[in-house]
Amino acid sequence: MTAVQVIWLREVRAFRGAFSCGVPVAAFLAASGWTFVMMLRRNEGSVLQIQSLWGLSIAPWLPVLSALLTMRLFSEERSTGMIDLLMSAPLRERDIVVGKFLSAMTVLGAALAVSLVVPALILPALSAPVQGTVRAPAFAATFLILFLQASAWCSAGTMISVLFRNQAAAAVSSLLLCSGMPAVVYAAILAWIPSVRAEVAWMPLLVHVYDFSTGLFSTAVIALYVAVSLFFLFGCSKLLVCLRLRG
Amino acid sequence: MLEIEHITFSYGRHRVLDDVTFDVAPGEIVAITGANGAGKTTLLRLLACLLMQDAGTVRLDTVNPVERPIRYRRGIGYLSEHCPLYSDMTVEGYLTYRVRLKGERSLRVRRRVSEVLEMCGLEEVGKTRMRLLSLGYRKRVGLADALALHPKLLLLDDPLAGLDVRQRKKTAAVLTAASARSAVLVSGHEIQEMLGWCTRFVVLNCGRVAALYRVSDYARDELAQRIERQVSAEAAGEVAT
Repeated sequence: MTAVQVIWLREVRAFRGAFSCGVPVAAFLAASGWTFVMMLRRNEGSVLQIQSLWGLSIAPWLPVLSALLTMRLFSEERSTGMIDLLMSAPLRERDIVVGKFLSAMTVLGAALAVSLVVPALILPALSAPVQGTVRAPAFAATFLILFLQASAWCSAGTMISVLFRNQAAAAVSSLLLCSGMPAVVYAAILAWIPSVRAEVAWMPLLVHVYDFSTGLFSTAVIALYVAVSLFFLFGCSKLLVCLRLRG
Repeated sequence: MLEIEHITFSYGRHRVLDDVTFDVAPGEIVAITGANGAGKTTLLRLLACLLMQDAGTVRLDTVNPVERPIRYRRGIGYLSEHCPLYSDMTVEGYLTYRVRLKGERSLRVRRRVSEVLEMCGLEEVGKTRMRLLSLGYRKRVGLADALALHPKLLLLDDPLAGLDVRQRKKTAAVLTAASARSAVLVSGHEIQEMLGWCTRFVVLNCGRVAALYRVSDYARDELAQRIERQVSAEAAGEVAT
């Protein structure tokens, strides 16, 4: 077993019995289900496809779930002192970061997979007419973009958790970074440099979900989320190096 | 084995270690003592790669931790002062996790874990969750973790603190046995007890090496008095300032 696998396995097991995992995942499923119903009612008679509705009802809650899942990854290790044992083991910082990040992504992936059941449960109950057939590839594409977004939020949350010993502080900061920052940056760009409106028109995150769910793939969008994830993971491993430098 | 040369370290403007130089030979158990705040924990954290010195060099069998950190860390076993453990894991599960994390081959993991469980007298609590353990057992689990892969250098921060007489004797026996394979660097205030099994004493005073004593060169009581006098003088100086 590699160090990444060992850390991943340990963290997934820790998630399994943790209060800070079960409650947020349950709340996420409830909130996304509720959003799905609201959107379904609001868009009655429209041409929105079912996978688009599912994706758009999930996406706003992903930063919240990511922040709650990642808050404990490093802050708990720091508050208990276990970080010392991790850092004195013969491991590279990036192995620790990747192992922990993948464990959060595993839980998030599982939560997303379970949330796929929401449309299947809710639609018959509401007797809503579904035009055409439900296409698996369309759901897969929506799942992909949601997973990519989750990866970006998770990597940001992982980095933020290195900075705090307090899990609540890590969660709030991560939420601010994930939910607030994209909106602020987008608004700022549009306000200060209106001429770049066309260039950044693809930036709003829900548009990505809608595009992917309707089959409009973009490698640039995929690259954007991968790059953002790698940036935060890189930052996270460098923060660990800083911890080693100054204690 | 371990060479520490002119190590200096500061937290901001506060100098914690100042030109610390000494070495540790294989088979030696070296005690680091001094008043609170003398720099014992900082020195051990630095040797465990949890801090980086401002100046000076550390070498473990010619391996410099700044140049080859992974190789250096493969050669050390570290027991932290507060002995943190994952409370949700069992003793056996935790040691298996740690042995795997340190890169032991899958086939040998089980053997290594049963070795250290036996060495540290933990067989009876192997399946017990960590949160149910007493401080003495927690320290022993930490020690088992540090000893697991037969490191060349054992760094133990205050391993006797909070233990009763029986547990201290047990820990001393484990360390004496471990010194056959490893050099041991141990910090603490229990001078009388450490005199029984340590080969040398390094007395730190405000981050400087105030004295180095070879235990075999002195009568035990005389050495104990000398060291205690030095530590008390430093503590009094600290109060005065």
